[in-house]
Amino acid sequence: MAAGYAWFLVLGSVFLCNLMKTLLPSISSFLSKLVQTDAELESEMRAEVQEMKKEQLSISMMDEFARYARLERKINKMTDKLKTHVKSRTGQQAKMKWVVNIAFYILQAALMVSLIWKYYSDPVTVVPSRWIAPVERLVAFPTGVAGGVGITCWLVVCNKVVTLGLYAVS
Amino acid sequence: MESGESAEEKTAPASAAQRRAEIRRRKLLMNSEDRMNRIVGFTKIEAETKAGASLRPTEPRFHLDLDRTEWSSSLPRPTPFLPEASGLSSRSHSATPERRGSPLPDSSEPHAGSIEDDIIGVRQRPRGERASDDVGGPPREGLQKYLSRFDDAMKLRGQLANEKATQEGESEPEEFDPFRVFRLVGSILLAIFVRVFVCKYLSIFAPFLTLELAYMGLSKYFPKVEKKTQTTVLTAALLLSGIPSEVINRSMDTYRRMGDVFADLCAYFFTFIISNEILLLIGSETPDGGAGPQ
Repeated sequence: MAAGYAWFLVLGSVFLCNLMKTLLPSISSFLSKLVQTDAELESEMRAEVQEMKKEQLSISMMDEFARYARLERKINKMTDKLKTHVKSRTGQQAKMKWVVNIAFYILQAALMVSLIWKYYSDPVTVVPSRWIAPVERLVAFPTGVAGGVGITCWLVVCNKVVTLGLYAVS
Repeated sequence: MESGESAEEKTAPASAAQRRAEIRRRKLLMNSEDRMNRIVGFTKIEAETKAGASLRPTEPRFHLDLDRTEWSSSLPRPTPFLPEASGLSSRSHSATPERRGSPLPDSSEPHAGSIEDDIIGVRQRPRGERASDDVGGPPREGLQKYLSRFDDAMKLRGQLANEKATQEGESEPEEFDPFRVFRLVGSILLAIFVRVFVCKYLSIFAPFLTLELAYMGLSKYFPKVEKKTQTTVLTAALLLSGIPSEVINRSMDTYRRMGDVFADLCAYFFTFIISNEILLLIGSETPDGGAGPQ
């Protein structure tokens, strides 16, 4: 027969999954920052480029062309290096985002399957069958218990309500 | 006399050169027509059969300009200044400058006949070439259709790319318009009311259906929020497959309304079950009839 708080367990699981889904981007960026080791190098390179550009502004191109050109070459070299670094960092971030998303969806699928497996034959809650006529069979699927609320119906309802609620809150 | 003969000799090679140039232009234009037919997919065999059926007495459309220019170069153009030109040549030099310069209707009268003949001649030529237009019509239409579809596809591609960029960059557009909020709140309140007072007497879905019918009537009293139609891959594919945009918009509108009803139903049922559980927890009453809990 139905456990006392099965409906609450399913509701809580669905709420947790949807909450995690909204937090996925921040989780993936946090993890990528943890994994990344040479973050300081990039900021140093940026600072160096800024300094060189400032120095270049102070030089007159007409009077000290050689120095200007040398500095220009240095700036270009450093900018290219920085671009390569940024490219690899964004690639890493994209990879991390992809990994986090895949892991989340696998966990979510596992949780849903386990819930369905657990409550396949037991309804999450029971009400008098005449209350939910004429769709009591559909609501009770797959338990077959008269007046029961099946796991599939409850999952769908909770998912929709939690999505609406989280959207309203955010 | 000799100067006249030399002038004639000089003009003869010039006209021969002109003729060769015209022949070259014709050849180029013929090739362009073949190219156009190949682009459109109008096969050569079809072209030949159609040409054999109707084209023989007339020339293809691409030659229209050439023939017109040829013809116009040989005959005087029907311009308003034609009477002036002929007037200058035939009349005496004692004519006033104003009369020379102005295309007066009086001066054109003696030459009206010639002008009309010219115009009729000009008109006759295109009439003869109208049959060629009909033959060139289907490939042209096909090409235009292809080009218009291609333009639509490019525009939709651009739109899709922009929509994707805006969706990634910005937050989603607000879906909760006042009427939607009103519907959800109404469904929740009705669920609580039904759980407390009504569920013992009839099915819980009867009041819900009544509520939805009421919402259908109330929808016109609420300000309509014009939702921006999002161009998705599905709508783009449907548009390109030839389905009119009105049909797509109506279908999308119908699906949106069905979604709203489903959301109301979910909110209603969820609130009903939660309120039932809360009441059971509080222990204010036990559900009568049907299968009770354990």
